[in-house]
Amino acid sequence: MAPKPIKLFYFDARGRAEVCRLLLAAAGQKYEDIRYTQEQWETEKDNTPFKQLPVIEIDGKRFGQTIAIITYLATEFGFRGKTNLEALAIDQAVQLTYDFLNCFVKVWVEKDETKKAEYMKHFKEVEVPKYLGFYEKLLKESGTGYFVGNSLSVADLSCYDFLYGLKSMGVLSTDEYPNIQNLQKKVESNEKIKAYLATRKQTPT
Amino acid sequence: MASNSLKLFYYDAKGRAELIRLVLAAGGREYENVILTQDDWQTEKYKTPFGQLPVMEIGGKKYAQSIALANYCAAECGLYGKTNLDRLNIDQVVCLGSDLVSLATQAFHEKDETRKAEKMKNFAEVEAPRFFNMYEKLLKESSTGYFCGDSLTLADLFIYDQVFTESKWKTFKTEGFPLLNALRKLVESNEKIKAYLATRKPTEF
Repeated sequence: MAPKPIKLFYFDARGRAEVCRLLLAAAGQKYEDIRYTQEQWETEKDNTPFKQLPVIEIDGKRFGQTIAIITYLATEFGFRGKTNLEALAIDQAVQLTYDFLNCFVKVWVEKDETKKAEYMKHFKEVEVPKYLGFYEKLLKESGTGYFVGNSLSVADLSCYDFLYGLKSMGVLSTDEYPNIQNLQKKVESNEKIKAYLATRKQTPT
Repeated sequence: MASNSLKLFYYDAKGRAELIRLVLAAGGREYENVILTQDDWQTEKYKTPFGQLPVMEIGGKKYAQSIALANYCAAECGLYGKTNLDRLNIDQVVCLGSDLVSLATQAFHEKDETRKAEKMKNFAEVEAPRFFNMYEKLLKESSTGYFCGDSLTLADLFIYDQVFTESKWKTFKTEGFPLLNALRKLVESNEKIKAYLATRKPTEF
Protein backbone atom coordinates (compact mmCIF):
# COMPACT_ATOMS: atom_id res chain seq x y z
CA MET A 1 0.00 0.00 0.00
CA ALA A 2 1.43 3.38 -0.99
CA PRO A 3 2.26 5.67 1.93
CA LYS A 4 -0.19 8.50 2.43
CA PRO A 5 1.02 11.74 0.77
CA ILE A 6 2.60 14.10 3.30
CA LYS A 7 2.77 17.89 3.14
CA LEU A 8 4.69 19.91 5.71
CA PHE A 9 3.88 23.61 6.11
CA TYR A 10 6.16 26.12 7.84
CA PHE A 11 7.98 29.40 7.32
CA ASP A 12 11.22 29.56 5.34
CA ALA A 13 13.28 28.50 8.34
CA ARG A 14 14.42 25.50 10.40
CA GLY A 15 12.59 26.62 13.54
CA ARG A 16 9.94 24.23 14.83
CA ALA A 17 9.73 22.28 11.57
CA GLU A 18 13.29 21.09 11.27
CA VAL A 19 12.88 18.01 13.49
CA CYS A 20 10.04 16.93 11.13
CA ARG A 21 12.37 17.41 8.13
CA LEU A 22 15.16 15.45 9.85
CA LEU A 23 12.77 12.58 10.64
CA LEU A 24 11.43 12.48 7.09
CA ALA A 25 15.00 12.58 5.74
CA ALA A 26 16.11 9.77 8.09
CA ALA A 27 13.08 7.77 6.93
CA GLY A 28 13.87 8.39 3.27
CA GLN A 29 10.26 9.57 2.95
CA LYS A 30 9.29 12.00 0.18
CA TYR A 31 7.10 14.93 1.17
CA GLU A 32 6.15 18.42 0.04
CA ASP A 33 8.21 20.96 2.03
CA ILE A 34 6.01 24.07 1.80
CA ARG A 35 7.50 27.33 3.08
CA TYR A 36 5.30 30.40 3.54
CA THR A 37 6.39 34.01 3.34
CA GLN A 38 4.85 36.32 5.97
CA GLU A 39 2.37 37.59 3.33
CA GLN A 40 1.27 34.09 2.35
CA TRP A 41 0.91 33.20 6.03
CA GLU A 42 -1.59 36.00 6.60
CA THR A 43 -4.03 34.38 4.17
CA GLU A 44 -3.15 30.73 4.91
CA LYS A 45 -3.52 31.09 8.72
CA ASP A 46 -7.21 30.22 8.61
CA ASN A 47 -6.47 26.97 6.79
CA THR A 48 -4.63 25.62 9.83
CA PRO A 49 -6.10 23.93 12.91
CA PHE A 50 -4.82 26.51 15.45
CA LYS A 51 -3.51 29.42 13.33
CA GLN A 52 0.06 28.25 13.99
CA LEU A 53 2.86 26.45 12.19
CA PRO A 54 4.18 23.81 11.70
CA VAL A 55 1.23 21.93 10.22
CA ILE A 56 1.32 18.53 8.59
CA GLU A 57 -1.19 17.36 6.01
CA ILE A 58 -1.63 13.60 5.81
CA ASP A 59 -3.93 12.22 3.15
CA GLY A 60 -5.70 15.57 2.94
CA LYS A 61 -6.23 16.14 6.70
CA ARG A 62 -4.29 18.81 8.61
CA PHE A 63 -2.78 18.57 12.07
CA GLY A 64 -0.87 21.07 14.21
CA GLN A 65 1.37 21.05 17.32
CA THR A 66 5.07 20.31 16.90
CA ILE A 67 5.41 17.47 19.44
CA ALA A 68 2.26 15.73 18.17
CA ILE A 69 3.62 15.87 14.60
CA ILE A 70 7.14 14.66 15.42
CA THR A 71 5.74 11.85 17.59
CA TYR A 72 3.51 10.76 14.69
CA LEU A 73 6.40 10.79 12.22
CA ALA A 74 8.71 9.05 14.70
CA THR A 75 6.17 6.29 15.35
CA GLU A 76 5.28 5.93 11.67
CA PHE A 77 8.88 5.55 10.54
CA GLY A 78 10.45 3.61 13.42
CA PHE A 79 12.11 6.34 15.45
CA ARG A 80 10.18 5.89 18.70
CA GLY A 81 11.62 2.67 20.10
CA LYS A 82 10.27 -0.86 20.00
CA THR A 83 8.26 -1.04 23.25
CA ASN A 84 6.03 1.26 25.32
CA LEU A 85 8.89 1.60 27.81
CA GLU A 86 11.36 2.67 25.11
CA ALA A 87 8.73 5.12 23.84
CA LEU A 88 8.48 6.50 27.40
CA ALA A 89 12.24 7.01 27.60
CA ILE A 90 12.17 8.71 24.18
CA ASP A 91 9.16 10.90 25.07
CA GLN A 92 10.92 11.83 28.32
CA ALA A 93 13.94 13.16 26.43
CA VAL A 94 11.77 14.94 23.85
CA GLN A 95 9.72 16.66 26.57
CA LEU A 96 12.97 17.66 28.29
CA THR A 97 14.20 19.26 25.06
CA TYR A 98 10.98 21.21 24.63
CA ASP A 99 11.16 22.39 28.27
CA PHE A 100 14.67 23.64 27.42
CA LEU A 101 13.35 25.21 24.22
CA ASN A 102 10.56 26.98 26.13
CA CYS A 103 13.18 28.49 28.46
CA PHE A 104 14.87 29.95 25.38
CA VAL A 105 11.58 31.16 23.86
CA LYS A 106 11.10 33.28 27.00
CA VAL A 107 14.36 35.09 26.17
CA TRP A 108 13.64 35.28 22.45
CA VAL A 109 10.15 36.87 22.76
CA GLU A 110 10.98 39.41 25.50
CA LYS A 111 10.68 42.91 24.06
CA ASP A 112 12.06 44.90 26.98
CA GLU A 113 15.82 45.09 26.31
CA THR A 114 16.87 45.12 29.97
CA LYS A 115 14.70 42.14 30.86
CA LYS A 116 15.83 40.34 27.70
CA ALA A 117 19.49 40.69 28.66
CA GLU A 118 18.67 39.50 32.19
CA TYR A 119 16.80 36.45 30.85
CA MET A 120 19.62 35.63 28.39
CA LYS A 121 22.18 35.79 31.20
CA HIS A 122 20.04 33.45 33.32
CA PHE A 123 19.57 31.14 30.34
CA LYS A 124 23.29 30.91 29.62
CA GLU A 125 24.43 30.63 33.24
CA VAL A 126 21.69 28.48 34.74
CA GLU A 127 19.48 26.75 32.16
CA VAL A 128 22.20 25.78 29.66
CA PRO A 129 24.45 23.90 32.14
CA LYS A 130 21.38 22.37 33.75
CA TYR A 131 19.93 20.90 30.55
CA LEU A 132 23.28 19.98 28.99
CA GLY A 133 23.99 18.20 32.28
CA PHE A 134 20.74 16.23 31.95
CA TYR A 135 21.52 15.25 28.35
CA GLU A 136 25.02 14.17 29.32
CA LYS A 137 23.62 12.07 32.19
CA LEU A 138 20.95 10.37 30.04
CA LEU A 139 23.45 9.56 27.29
CA LYS A 140 25.96 8.21 29.79
CA GLU A 141 23.27 6.02 31.39
CA SER A 142 22.22 4.71 27.99
CA GLY A 143 25.79 3.81 27.08
CA THR A 144 24.97 3.21 23.39
CA GLY A 145 25.67 6.71 22.10
CA TYR A 146 21.94 7.21 21.53
CA PHE A 147 19.45 8.39 24.14
CA VAL A 148 17.44 5.16 24.00
CA GLY A 149 18.35 1.72 22.76
CA ASN A 150 21.01 1.38 20.10
CA SER A 151 19.45 3.20 17.21
CA LEU A 152 18.49 6.72 16.19
CA SER A 153 15.26 8.05 17.65
CA VAL A 154 13.34 11.33 17.71
CA ALA A 155 14.97 11.95 21.11
CA ASP A 156 18.38 12.17 19.40
CA LEU A 157 17.12 14.27 16.49
CA SER A 158 15.22 16.82 18.59
CA CYS A 159 18.18 17.32 20.95
CA TYR A 160 20.59 17.56 18.02
CA ASP A 161 18.43 20.11 16.20
CA PHE A 162 17.84 22.39 19.18
CA LEU A 163 21.52 22.43 20.14
CA TYR A 164 22.49 23.08 16.51
CA GLY A 165 20.26 26.18 16.52
CA LEU A 166 21.67 27.50 19.80
CA LYS A 167 25.27 26.85 18.72
CA SER A 168 24.75 28.62 15.41
CA MET A 169 23.42 31.64 17.35
CA GLY A 170 26.50 31.58 19.59
CA VAL A 171 24.37 30.98 22.68
CA LEU A 172 26.18 27.85 23.83
CA SER A 173 29.01 25.43 23.18
CA THR A 174 28.95 21.67 23.70
CA ASP A 175 32.74 21.36 23.86
CA GLU A 176 32.76 20.24 27.48
CA TYR A 177 30.17 17.52 27.05
CA PRO A 178 31.77 14.42 25.47
CA ASN A 179 28.57 12.34 25.31
CA ILE A 180 26.65 15.17 23.65
CA GLN A 181 29.52 15.69 21.18
CA ASN A 182 29.41 11.98 20.41
CA LEU A 183 25.64 12.14 19.83
CA GLN A 184 26.08 15.02 17.41
CA LYS A 185 28.69 13.01 15.47
CA LYS A 186 26.41 9.97 15.41
CA VAL A 187 23.47 11.98 14.05
CA GLU A 188 25.62 13.71 11.43
CA SER A 189 27.18 10.44 10.26
CA ASN A 190 23.80 8.76 9.67
CA GLU A 191 23.85 8.28 5.86
CA LYS A 192 20.46 9.80 5.11
CA ILE A 193 20.88 12.67 7.61
CA LYS A 194 24.34 13.38 6.19
CA ALA A 195 22.93 13.65 2.68
CA TYR A 196 20.10 15.87 3.86
CA LEU A 197 22.40 18.21 5.82
CA ALA A 198 24.75 18.54 2.85
CA THR A 199 22.03 20.06 0.68
CA ARG A 200 19.78 21.63 3.29
CA LYS A 201 18.83 25.23 2.59
CA GLN A 202 20.78 27.56 4.91
CA THR A 203 18.58 29.90 6.94
CA PRO A 204 19.44 32.09 9.95
CA THR A 205 17.03 30.23 12.29
CA MET B 1 3.59 -11.31 30.15
CA ALA B 2 3.16 -9.68 33.55
CA SER B 3 2.88 -5.91 33.48
CA ASN B 4 5.53 -3.83 35.18
CA SER B 5 4.75 -2.72 38.74
CA LEU B 6 4.14 1.01 38.90
CA LYS B 7 5.05 3.58 41.54
CA LEU B 8 4.05 7.23 41.19
CA PHE B 9 5.92 9.86 43.25
CA TYR B 10 4.46 13.34 43.79
CA TYR B 11 3.69 15.93 46.44
CA ASP B 12 0.49 15.85 48.47
CA ALA B 13 -1.38 17.46 45.59
CA LYS B 14 -3.22 16.84 42.34
CA GLY B 15 -1.06 19.13 40.21
CA ARG B 16 0.93 17.51 37.42
CA ALA B 17 0.34 13.99 38.74
CA GLU B 18 -3.42 14.04 38.57
CA LEU B 19 -3.65 13.25 34.86
CA ILE B 20 -1.55 10.12 35.44
CA ARG B 21 -3.79 9.10 38.35
CA LEU B 22 -6.92 9.62 36.20
CA VAL B 23 -5.46 7.53 33.37
CA LEU B 24 -4.48 4.69 35.69
CA ALA B 25 -7.91 4.85 37.36
CA ALA B 26 -9.71 4.72 34.00
CA GLY B 27 -7.47 1.84 32.99
CA GLY B 28 -8.15 -0.04 36.20
CA ARG B 29 -4.41 -0.28 36.73
CA GLU B 30 -2.96 -0.72 40.23
CA TYR B 31 -0.04 1.41 41.34
CA GLU B 32 1.65 2.69 44.47
CA ASN B 33 0.71 6.36 44.95
CA VAL B 34 3.73 7.67 46.90
CA ILE B 35 3.20 11.06 48.54
CA LEU B 36 6.34 13.07 49.34
CA THR B 37 6.46 15.78 52.00
CA GLN B 38 8.67 18.83 51.48
CA ASP B 39 11.19 17.22 53.90
CA ASP B 40 11.21 13.93 51.94
CA TRP B 41 11.75 15.95 48.79
CA GLN B 42 15.02 17.44 50.05
CA THR B 43 16.66 14.02 49.79
CA GLU B 44 14.46 12.37 47.16
CA LYS B 45 15.19 15.16 44.66
CA TYR B 46 18.61 13.69 43.90
CA LYS B 47 17.14 10.29 43.10
CA THR B 48 14.98 11.71 40.29
CA PRO B 49 16.08 12.08 36.65
CA PHE B 50 15.72 15.90 36.52
CA GLY B 51 15.11 17.07 40.08
CA GLN B 52 11.37 17.39 39.45
CA LEU B 53 8.11 15.58 40.12
CA PRO B 54 6.09 13.64 39.07
CA VAL B 55 8.34 10.63 38.64
CA MET B 56 7.33 7.02 38.09
CA GLU B 57 9.30 3.95 38.94
CA ILE B 58 8.60 1.21 36.42
CA GLY B 59 10.37 -2.12 36.58
CA GLY B 60 12.81 -0.59 39.08
CA LYS B 61 13.81 2.35 36.85
CA LYS B 62 12.75 5.98 37.36
CA TYR B 63 11.21 8.11 34.60
CA ALA B 64 10.08 11.76 34.59
CA GLN B 65 8.12 14.30 32.51
CA SER B 66 4.40 14.24 33.23
CA ILE B 67 3.28 14.06 29.58
CA ALA B 68 5.71 11.24 28.74
CA LEU B 69 4.42 9.36 31.79
CA ALA B 70 0.77 10.03 30.90
CA ASN B 71 1.44 8.78 27.34
CA TYR B 72 2.99 5.59 28.69
CA CYS B 73 0.12 4.93 31.09
CA ALA B 74 -2.43 5.66 28.34
CA ALA B 75 -0.68 3.22 26.00
CA GLU B 76 -0.58 0.55 28.70
CA CYS B 77 -4.26 1.14 29.57
CA GLY B 78 -5.65 1.20 26.02
CA LEU B 79 -6.52 4.90 26.25
CA TYR B 80 -4.25 6.02 23.43
CA GLY B 81 -6.39 5.18 20.38
CA LYS B 82 -5.99 2.26 17.98
CA THR B 83 -3.86 3.70 15.18
CA ASN B 84 -0.96 6.10 14.81
CA LEU B 85 -3.37 8.67 13.33
CA ASP B 86 -5.62 8.29 16.42
CA ARG B 87 -2.55 9.02 18.49
CA LEU B 88 -1.74 12.10 16.42
CA ASN B 89 -5.29 13.36 17.10
CA ILE B 90 -4.90 12.69 20.81
CA ASP B 91 -1.40 14.21 21.01
CA GLN B 92 -2.62 17.30 19.15
CA VAL B 93 -5.19 17.94 21.90
CA VAL B 94 -2.69 17.25 24.71
CA CYS B 95 -0.05 19.53 23.13
CA LEU B 96 -2.60 22.30 22.61
CA GLY B 97 -3.67 21.97 26.23
CA SER B 98 -0.02 22.00 27.32
CA ASP B 99 0.39 25.41 25.64
CA LEU B 100 -2.32 26.72 27.97
CA VAL B 101 -0.58 25.13 30.96
CA SER B 102 2.63 26.98 29.94
CA LEU B 103 0.77 30.29 29.90
CA ALA B 104 -0.66 29.54 33.35
CA THR B 105 2.76 28.60 34.71
CA GLN B 106 4.36 31.74 33.29
CA ALA B 107 1.65 33.90 34.89
CA PHE B 108 1.78 32.08 38.23
CA HIS B 109 5.57 32.20 38.52
CA GLU B 110 6.02 35.86 37.49
CA LYS B 111 8.08 37.51 40.21
CA ASP B 112 7.14 41.13 39.53
CA GLU B 113 3.83 41.62 41.39
CA THR B 114 2.35 44.10 38.89
CA ARG B 115 3.24 41.95 35.89
CA LYS B 116 1.92 38.90 37.72
CA ALA B 117 -1.49 40.47 38.39
CA GLU B 118 -1.66 41.53 34.71
CA LYS B 119 -0.68 38.07 33.47
CA MET B 120 -3.12 36.23 35.78
CA LYS B 121 -5.97 38.52 34.66
CA ASN B 122 -5.03 38.06 31.00
CA PHE B 123 -4.84 34.32 31.53
CA ALA B 124 -8.30 34.03 33.09
CA GLU B 125 -10.07 36.52 30.82
CA VAL B 126 -8.35 36.11 27.46
CA GLU B 127 -6.15 33.04 27.11
CA ALA B 128 -8.28 30.43 28.89
CA PRO B 129 -11.46 31.32 26.91
CA ARG B 130 -9.42 31.39 23.69
CA PHE B 131 -8.25 27.84 24.31
CA PHE B 132 -11.67 26.68 25.55
CA ASN B 133 -13.09 27.90 22.23
CA MET B 134 -10.53 25.77 20.38
CA TYR B 135 -11.51 22.77 22.52
CA GLU B 136 -15.20 23.41 21.70
CA LYS B 137 -14.31 23.49 18.00
CA LEU B 138 -12.42 20.19 18.21
CA LEU B 139 -15.26 18.53 20.12
CA LYS B 140 -17.73 19.81 17.55
CA GLU B 141 -15.61 18.36 14.71
CA SER B 142 -15.37 15.02 16.52
CA SER B 143 -19.15 14.97 17.15
CA THR B 144 -19.00 11.89 19.42
CA GLY B 145 -18.71 13.80 22.68
CA TYR B 146 -15.12 12.58 23.00
CA PHE B 147 -12.12 14.33 21.45
CA CYS B 148 -11.00 11.29 19.47
CA GLY B 149 -13.11 8.41 18.25
CA ASP B 150 -16.09 7.25 20.24
CA SER B 151 -14.55 6.33 23.56
CA LEU B 152 -12.49 7.84 26.38
CA THR B 153 -8.87 8.61 25.59
CA LEU B 154 -5.97 10.49 27.13
CA ALA B 155 -7.13 13.63 25.30
CA ASP B 156 -10.45 13.71 27.19
CA LEU B 157 -8.75 13.11 30.54
CA PHE B 158 -6.10 15.78 29.89
CA ILE B 159 -8.64 18.49 29.05
CA TYR B 160 -11.02 17.37 31.80
CA ASP B 161 -8.20 17.58 34.33
CA GLN B 162 -6.99 20.96 33.08
CA VAL B 163 -10.39 22.61 32.99
CA PHE B 164 -12.33 20.96 35.78
CA THR B 165 -9.95 19.57 38.43
CA GLU B 166 -10.20 22.04 41.28
CA SER B 167 -7.11 23.93 42.29
CA LYS B 168 -6.52 27.07 44.31
CA TRP B 169 -4.88 28.94 41.42
CA LYS B 170 -7.67 28.34 38.88
CA THR B 171 -9.78 31.45 38.45
CA PHE B 172 -11.16 30.98 34.94
CA LYS B 173 -14.85 30.47 34.16
CA THR B 174 -16.19 27.36 32.47
CA GLU B 175 -19.77 28.46 31.76
CA GLY B 176 -20.62 29.12 28.14
CA PHE B 177 -18.75 26.10 26.78
CA PRO B 178 -21.51 23.49 26.25
CA LEU B 179 -19.44 20.73 24.65
CA LEU B 180 -16.70 21.08 27.25
CA ASN B 181 -19.28 20.80 30.01
CA ALA B 182 -20.83 17.79 28.28
CA LEU B 183 -17.35 16.22 28.21
CA ARG B 184 -17.15 16.78 31.95
CA LYS B 185 -20.36 14.80 32.47
CA LEU B 186 -19.12 12.06 30.17
CA VAL B 187 -15.80 11.69 32.02
CA GLU B 188 -17.37 11.86 35.46
CA SER B 189 -19.95 9.22 34.57
CA ASN B 190 -17.23 6.74 33.57
CA GLU B 191 -17.59 4.01 36.25
CA LYS B 192 -13.91 3.81 37.15
CA ILE B 193 -13.38 7.59 37.15
CA LYS B 194 -16.51 8.02 39.27
CA ALA B 195 -15.19 5.55 41.82
CA TYR B 196 -11.78 7.25 41.85
CA LEU B 197 -13.22 10.76 42.28
CA ALA B 198 -15.51 9.60 45.09
CA THR B 199 -12.54 8.69 47.29
CA ARG B 200 -9.96 11.25 46.09
CA LYS B 201 -8.61 13.31 48.97
CA PRO B 202 -9.23 17.08 48.53
CA THR B 203 -6.01 19.11 48.24
CA GLU B 204 -5.31 22.82 47.72
CA PHE B 205 -3.51 22.38 44.39
